[in-house]
Amino acid sequence: MMRQIIEYALLFLVLVLLQVFLFSSLELSVYLNPLIYIAFIILLPIETAPVLVLGLGLLMGLTMDVAMGAAGLNTLATLPVAFLRGALLRLTCSKDSVSDGGVPSMRRLGVLGFTRYVVAAVLLHSIVYFTMESATFDYFHLTLLRTAISGVVTIGVVFLTSQLFNSQVTRVL
Amino acid sequence: MLKLVEFIKKVYLPLLFLVLEIVAIRYYAHSNSYAEARLLATSNSVVGRVYGSISGVSEYFGLRKRNRVLLEEMAELQNELTRYRESAVYDQLDSLGAEVETKYSYMTARVVRNTVNRQHNFLTLNKGLRDGVETDMAIITPDGAMVGYVVSCSERYAVAISILNTDFNASGKLAGDGHSGAIYWEGFDSHRVKMHELSKYAPVEVGDTIVSTGFSHFFPEDITIGYVEQMEVDEPTSSLNLVLGLAADMSRLQDVLLIKNIDIYELNALEEEANSLFQY
Repeated sequence: MMRQIIEYALLFLVLVLLQVFLFSSLELSVYLNPLIYIAFIILLPIETAPVLVLGLGLLMGLTMDVAMGAAGLNTLATLPVAFLRGALLRLTCSKDSVSDGGVPSMRRLGVLGFTRYVVAAVLLHSIVYFTMESATFDYFHLTLLRTAISGVVTIGVVFLTSQLFNSQVTRVL
Repeated sequence: MLKLVEFIKKVYLPLLFLVLEIVAIRYYAHSNSYAEARLLATSNSVVGRVYGSISGVSEYFGLRKRNRVLLEEMAELQNELTRYRESAVYDQLDSLGAEVETKYSYMTARVVRNTVNRQHNFLTLNKGLRDGVETDMAIITPDGAMVGYVVSCSERYAVAISILNTDFNASGKLAGDGHSGAIYWEGFDSHRVKMHELSKYAPVEVGDTIVSTGFSHFFPEDITIGYVEQMEVDEPTSSLNLVLGLAADMSRLQDVLLIKNIDIYELNALEEEANSLFQY
């Protein structure tokens, strides 16, 4: 238990640092803004108490808001993911694998289930984020493009993170 | 009562979520760039230091290259500036608009060898004949301080006489004033040179800047030589002797600018002709 807390604390730290110093400072294009920190919420153990997930979502959102100077934008995008995570899991994966608990991974949830879960969570986060960021529906197609491009990159990073994190977990345990 | 507790248990999570979300949205909706800038300034006090050290480290590795690029750019700009200045002068002198030619052209080079501990100190630069370096080109630091001038060139390298050479000759004048004198090095202090034959009526004070005159054909006018540190009147010749702190840090030269006086051949030939006329 203690070990898991430390592991997740490290994951939190690494994701925040990567987000702030790498992905948010890429500045390659306005269409490429991967919000990889959402991987933290996605990779929390399945059996985590919903209120704790919500609390950690709030913490992550606030951290990113302060670090990026975004005044609530990250919080308001992260909270729905944290709140709906349980529902997303139940919708995208089989009942058995969800009730077994553990760290979400391809091995536990199946390739298809895990992929659906990650895509749904990242898209929910990105859609809320980019829509609220543009604060208008005038350029909806462009916002959609930003969501799509950034979302795809984020999904890739989440997959990679999950692989690394899970191999790390199994090796340590 | 029990039912109420059951009810609260059921709805507290969605309720908590809704409250937090509404607060976040309200906060976001009421924020503006000033608030975000303030927030960013706050986070910068924490994150900024890490940012600074990261960029410091990565900057450090790119520093040499960037320096080089900046220098090239500066040489380019100097060229352009000279063209503009000259065309302004031509415009004033000749409204017919004579063909504008620049008098000076600039290029950069790197000091690959340099001494300051001899009586006759020289610099070796990493550019030579094939790069267009010629003898008599002036050398200044990137911030415009006098360093020396090229005395010989090979195919790939050029050797220049340093201002820290007892054979170095240049004339200097008080910045913004016409009074001029001769600059020379005594051969010991690598941070100071002397200036003599300055009229004692020159309004000079300690701390004043001494610049090149443009009388010599090597240096353009107004290249910084140094700053007055000491001064004394030499009674027999009724002139001032000055000690100047050099503007260029000669022991730490890395990149320099080379200046070519395009008219130098013409000027030299003309002067030789004038000299020969008065030789009896």
